[in-house]
Amino acid sequence: MSIDLTINGSISSMKIDGILNSENAHLLQEKLAEVLASKCTLLELDLLDCRNISSTGIGKILLFYKDFISTGGEIEVIRSSSSVYELFSMLKLNQLFTVNLG
Amino acid sequence: MKQARILVVDDSIAIVNSLCAILKVSGFEVDSAFNASEALRKIHSKDYDLVICDIEMPGITGLDFLGRVRKDFDRELEVILMTGFLDHDYFIEAIRLGASDFIRKPIDSKQIIRSIQNILERKHKRNDSNEFYKYLDSTEISFALNPANFSKFAISKVFNSLLLQNFHLNRITLNEVLICVDEMIYNAFIHGTLQLTVAERIMDHVSLREIIDSRLQDPKIKAKRLRFSLSIDHLNESITVCVDDDGDGFDYQSWMQRVKLEPKLNLEEHGRGISMLYHLSDSMEFSRGGRMVKITKKLVQEPQE
Repeated sequence: MSIDLTINGSISSMKIDGILNSENAHLLQEKLAEVLASKCTLLELDLLDCRNISSTGIGKILLFYKDFISTGGEIEVIRSSSSVYELFSMLKLNQLFTVNLG
Repeated sequence: MKQARILVVDDSIAIVNSLCAILKVSGFEVDSAFNASEALRKIHSKDYDLVICDIEMPGITGLDFLGRVRKDFDRELEVILMTGFLDHDYFIEAIRLGASDFIRKPIDSKQIIRSIQNILERKHKRNDSNEFYKYLDSTEISFALNPANFSKFAISKVFNSLLLQNFHLNRITLNEVLICVDEMIYNAFIHGTLQLTVAERIMDHVSLREIIDSRLQDPKIKAKRLRFSLSIDHLNESITVCVDDDGDGFDYQSWMQRVKLEPKLNLEEHGRGISMLYHLSDSMEFSRGGRMVKITKKLVQEPQE
């Protein structure tokens, strides 16, 4: 699994490749902490090459979401793999933020 | 023997076309990608016997691509790197990353075919066990793990290699099985074995690591074991994964009722793992007071072309 993060002014772009699971979710937690520490207000997540996410990974995203929206931030999944799209739909995360497929 | 499937990666359309033509004439099944991102996407969704990749590409270079393949897949996907420059540093780095061969552009068709044949021959000798597994009615693997050793391994990589190298699973099925394994083993370790609280589980990685190390010094926890079994029924095309721990168990019946009614969505830490397992598997059952969980999933085989 690899995470590329670019913070450019008010927009952070994060691309996650591979499977996000309990073994590597802490890496996501560290990157999300960087986003939170920045002054950005929009996190664009590119999950097209993210093959799947475990509940630990989902937990990190939700914890970040709570903190981020309290500072006026927004999340948008700009692209997602079909597996991740289905997962987010199943967990109704698409009701919390925009999730785009493909 | 099945036709070997080769992925050619180069940002030059002319090189991709000419190399693909050479390989097709030589009897190989060929696919192409014009950058490393596209190539990574393709190897995530399809099995290839070999990848031929240019080093000098915009964005992710051939060396970065090879590094990501090794890191993400942890398997012996054969990768030939090609370059128009005879750079000594490239060569050293390619060897370090585990390139199968390193060839120079412009491509000598005889040289590349010879290289591919040698690599595939070596690979075929290594993979005799694949053929063996294909003809079994069923396969069973089980092990017990001392929790003190749990963090020494990336369990998902162990299973990724095991399932990928021995069974031709469809990639989506494989990813879902890997997530199920992760959920089951992580829960057995964090909840059943270490009995961490919610507050402890959401701590930062360093603090959590310290707590885990400290718990693992407790003789009662040291005496616990995580038991794991995996069985594949080749005739009925299903996989069963079972994990049990020596913890106190939990009220699984009420959780099962909840996940059957509605996938769990909340901002708390409880229940998402069970919900994930329930939805990713074809059947899920608990026993031993919640200390044992078993899931079964139908297998979709990777098409053998």
